[in-house]
Amino acid sequence: MKKFAFFKGCFIPIRLPHLERVSEMVFKDLDIELVKLDDFSCCPEPIGFGLNDKLTWLTLAARNIAIAEEKGLDILTICNGCYYTLKQTDSVLKGNKELKDKVNDIMRDTGHRFEGAFEIKHFVHAILEDIGLEKLGEKVKHPLKEIKVACHTGCHLISPVEIFRFDDQYDPVILERMVSALGASVSDYDLKTLCCGWTLSNYGSKASASNLIRDKLKSMKKTQADCITVTCPQCFYQFDTGQAVASRSYSLGFSLPVLFYPQLLGLALGYKLDEVFYERHRVKSSAFEAKLEEMLE
Amino acid sequence: MILKADYESRDESFKTKKSSEICFKCGICCVVRGYSCHVSYDSEKFNPRYTFVYDCLGSSDPARNPNIWLCVSCHKCEEVCPYEVSPIKFIEEMKSQAFEMGLAPSLIMSEVENILTTGYAFPISSVTLRLREELHLEPLQMKAIEDLRILSSKTGFIDKMLKAKENHI
Ligand code: SF4
Ligand code: SF4
Repeated sequence: MKKFAFFKGCFIPIRLPHLERVSEMVFKDLDIELVKLDDFSCCPEPIGFGLNDKLTWLTLAARNIAIAEEKGLDILTICNGCYYTLKQTDSVLKGNKELKDKVNDIMRDTGHRFEGAFEIKHFVHAILEDIGLEKLGEKVKHPLKEIKVACHTGCHLISPVEIFRFDDQYDPVILERMVSALGASVSDYDLKTLCCGWTLSNYGSKASASNLIRDKLKSMKKTQADCITVTCPQCFYQFDTGQAVASRSYSLGFSLPVLFYPQLLGLALGYKLDEVFYERHRVKSSAFEAKLEEMLE
Repeated sequence: MILKADYESRDESFKTKKSSEICFKCGICCVVRGYSCHVSYDSEKFNPRYTFVYDCLGSSDPARNPNIWLCVSCHKCEEVCPYEVSPIKFIEEMKSQAFEMGLAPSLIMSEVENILTTGYAFPISSVTLRLREELHLEPLQMKAIEDLRILSSKTGFIDKMLKAKENHI
């Protein structure tokens, strides 16, 4: 059984705790043990916090990594933002001895030390590398064959590409392969790489973010998608609450429910919609629910 | 004229990111919908002849340009720019300077304070506590607070934040 230090971040445990619960459930089913460590702090959040003082950002992130290292564990995150902070810190400090020494010197009084000897993974990496799509496919009890999914990977799992080396930034396909492994089909919509707009909505302009999500949703809907899947809680929030807001402003005339990938995976593993906490979502669709029910009969 | 700042002020604001000076004003970073800057294609303020990146790079006082806060740090601009300009790095540097001057949005100020004092970026409400209980998730604990205090005072960030708060308008 592969073991990870479970890095939950802030957004999921505080705003979307059902996504924490569903992640725990499905990773257990996939024989991945998530070890809970209560010494972690916020990753720290890369845009609102990280940009103001790079050294503090790197140091607090290095402290989080050090805590997992002290237990001899790789880190598993369930958020693109946490991955963006921790993976970049790990890579930057490993590549710059002077900076690494400086950060370790700052950390000395806390008793922590960053070595960079363990791996930082988002859950997508664990699925691809520690489980494998073939084995994942074998675990599927209910192939989601009638369901068409619009995949949104999000910016901060792919970029900066020279560090993350994960997917094609112009045509991301990996999440689509992960969805295909569950038996579902994928929607080939034209605004696939457009941002979810969470940062724009919070620190920039709510109206601009709403326009963005409207256009993205329309582009998904055009391909007859039944639902959306994401790998990041902020993206989830935009497609759920953000969609509810955009629907009111623009009378969209349709609703496209979003599922965090572990929820979609949960459905394929045999959980019911209410068991993956779909009832807690703002945006639901009776057409999607009926299709799923019919398929699972 | 897009880069309208006089050379001296440009040199001052660009000193940390010299590469911004070589922007060729080709517009590629902002005009390809979905593949380039997410801000530019959508907003009423910008168009292919006056893009978001022109607005940020060409401002005479870029750290005081309120539009810098529209940037989502998605890296698209640096990925598509044929001249390795990296507008994202420039804009991020301007945000950092603006923070010090007390010009960051209130949400950023409160997020920074939350992280340094509670270890979490967001406040924990009674709704969070109830939801966690309903889902049989353990209560949230934060053991990092003392470490965060030590580290952020050693890096000088606590002082920087206090100064930013004083200046905040
Ligand atoms: S990083 Fe900022 S400037 Fe660059 S493309 Fe993204 S939003 Fe636009
Ligand atoms: S930043 Fe690069 S892509 Fe954008 S206008 Fe300047 S040269 Fe062109």
